[in-house]
Amino acid sequence: MGKLKFLVAHWAAKASVVALKITKHNGTNFPGELAIKICPDFLKYIDKPETIIGVTGTNGKTTVCNLLIDMFTADGQVPLNNRAGSNINSGIATSLIHGANLFGKCKHNLGVLEIDERSALRVFPYVKPNYLIITNLFRDSMKRNANTEYIADILSKYIPKETKLVLNADDLISSNVAPENPRVYFGIDKMDSDIKECTNLINDIRICPVCHSKLEYEYLRYHHIGKAHCVSCDFKSPGYDYCAKNVNIDDMTMEIVDKDGLGNYRLISNGIHNIYNMVTVIALFRELGYKHGIIEKLMSQTSIVKSRYNAVPAGKVRVINQMAKENNALGSSRAFDFVSKEPNDKELILMMNCLGDEKHWSENTCWLYDCDFEFLNDEKIKKIIVTGPRYKDYILRLLIAGVDRAKIVDTAHEIDAPDLLDFTPGEDIYVFFGTDSLALGNKVLAKTIDLAKERGDK
Amino acid sequence: MKIEVLFPEICNLFGELANIRYLESSLKESGEFYEITYTSLKDEPLFASEKPDLIYMGGMSEHSQSLVVDKLMPYRDRIIDLIKDDTNFLITSNALEIFGERIEFCDADYEDIKGLSIFPTVAKNQMYKRFNCLYLGKLGDMEIVGFKSQFGHSYLNGDKNYEDLFETIKGTGLNPEYKNEGIKVNGFLATYVVGPILVLNPDFTKALMKRMGVGEPKLAYEEAAYESYNQRLNEYKEENRGFYY
Repeated sequence: MGKLKFLVAHWAAKASVVALKITKHNGTNFPGELAIKICPDFLKYIDKPETIIGVTGTNGKTTVCNLLIDMFTADGQVPLNNRAGSNINSGIATSLIHGANLFGKCKHNLGVLEIDERSALRVFPYVKPNYLIITNLFRDSMKRNANTEYIADILSKYIPKETKLVLNADDLISSNVAPENPRVYFGIDKMDSDIKECTNLINDIRICPVCHSKLEYEYLRYHHIGKAHCVSCDFKSPGYDYCAKNVNIDDMTMEIVDKDGLGNYRLISNGIHNIYNMVTVIALFRELGYKHGIIEKLMSQTSIVKSRYNAVPAGKVRVINQMAKENNALGSSRAFDFVSKEPNDKELILMMNCLGDEKHWSENTCWLYDCDFEFLNDEKIKKIIVTGPRYKDYILRLLIAGVDRAKIVDTAHEIDAPDLLDFTPGEDIYVFFGTDSLALGNKVLAKTIDLAKERGDK
Repeated sequence: MKIEVLFPEICNLFGELANIRYLESSLKESGEFYEITYTSLKDEPLFASEKPDLIYMGGMSEHSQSLVVDKLMPYRDRIIDLIKDDTNFLITSNALEIFGERIEFCDADYEDIKGLSIFPTVAKNQMYKRFNCLYLGKLGDMEIVGFKSQFGHSYLNGDKNYEDLFETIKGTGLNPEYKNEGIKVNGFLATYVVGPILVLNPDFTKALMKRMGVGEPKLAYEEAAYESYNQRLNEYKEENRGFYY
């Protein structure tokens, strides 16, 4: 009965794929949603690739997935993936439906699946990755994810016991998930820019989980990312199986050292979060038996997806779209930190409003007070334009961060924000927006580029 | 003026420590001298030997609730005495549950936590059903805005020995069956409402500062604070504004 129900669900979902194509509604979760509605344990029955690489965690999972998919593709493989859809159970079901024939048999040997960490309980009973990467765990949407201990508990409970974990040794939260599972650790060795005490607002693990004493850091990169030990007991960060050494941002190079040797890599981004993403991907490829030279070659053919970060010269300035997910204090803090350290003078447009929430409710803005707006109190940031439904909250938050009121300009309407820019020659203009305001963000970005070109011609 | 912040190493979720940062800026703006003590789990609380002008504790993880109860239990009688003595407490988010009889977890394999039993309330959490809503309430003439984001609610389990903190206008009270929100006894104020509540509610913050002994409270960035507050207040009063996510 279960199998018959599954086939009915699969055929209905397949038919919906055709209907969606005709009506130009590609990329939705509808086929997976429909299949799960008809057959609640649809994920149990549908055939899966022989090798599944899962990627979960708070930040970087989409970038890591994109890099993996691009590199496998460059290597001549055709990985099944959920890049076009969502990372919850219905999105994964949709990908598997796309990748299966009419009888539910999978056409791919390899799958790369981004898995929402909160959805572990709905995915892992049926989809059992051979390898699961956990990029990191930080606090995320309070409305959904509550706190990191809650998410770590869910992952520990539901990750299949046979799955090999690829973990970030520099993250004391995710590196302790599912302690019984086989695992390897990656990380980045001490860097010149490291510190010893956390200066960020978010620090999700301040005490030892064993004895509750203070944690002391040998080096700390940001938030709780670094190498730590407890001052009172034996608890400490795990050692590295894959260690990035001699990371040189000026030369854009790094080395990866593991038990079998050393590889030399060119950095594809100068942002530390993206260097972590690179190290993560290299660790996974090494686990699969790829040689350093091959990985380096495959990685050199990739780039960070332009919807996340892209700099365009326009007129006499550069216009940069900077992904900063709304409701995710950590993501915006990382973006603010990165931008504040860039050498040029800057103007910023902040429009990370949860437009979906605003349509029906009003955004829960607590995350603004977990987010390090203090990075924007920087002399090279000349003007900050706050816009969208919550612009008054942004003004207050920036003032609390110590930003001079004279630098803050506001407009309720996002599309008017570019008109308020100065376009001073030589400066960088950053437009911050998240997935919730993607379409509007792209419009604002396009208008900014057009205006920059116009001003540049004068 | 002395302020004690309890266990900031674990009671720091949802941006709630901004309550203290904003209060600190506002005390500076008002020309007050103050001292803030951040008490960690390994420290002897300041309130054990002194009467601070404000004791603050914010939201935490469910594991941390257990640690906090263990830490505070030896001071239970002292806390009761301080409440009777009109000491100012501001307790936000699920820190409220610490002062009740029990914290229960209905749908997860978390162990129930015995609370300080200062108030006859039981918190019932559903770990796979997070509750979110906007909140609009009143405290005397003051209108209060904020958010609720929690796994459960608190229910009265005996003779009520406290007043309600806020009269609810829109949103959920202490639990879906009880209209009003929070717990108030003398200067002890506890609420599930987050925001951070002091940043979002300038009138409430000024009233608290007055209770703490500030003659003429002035808020940091007062104009911007009121503009943000009034915008939110007007939105929340709109007839068709959704309150439940």
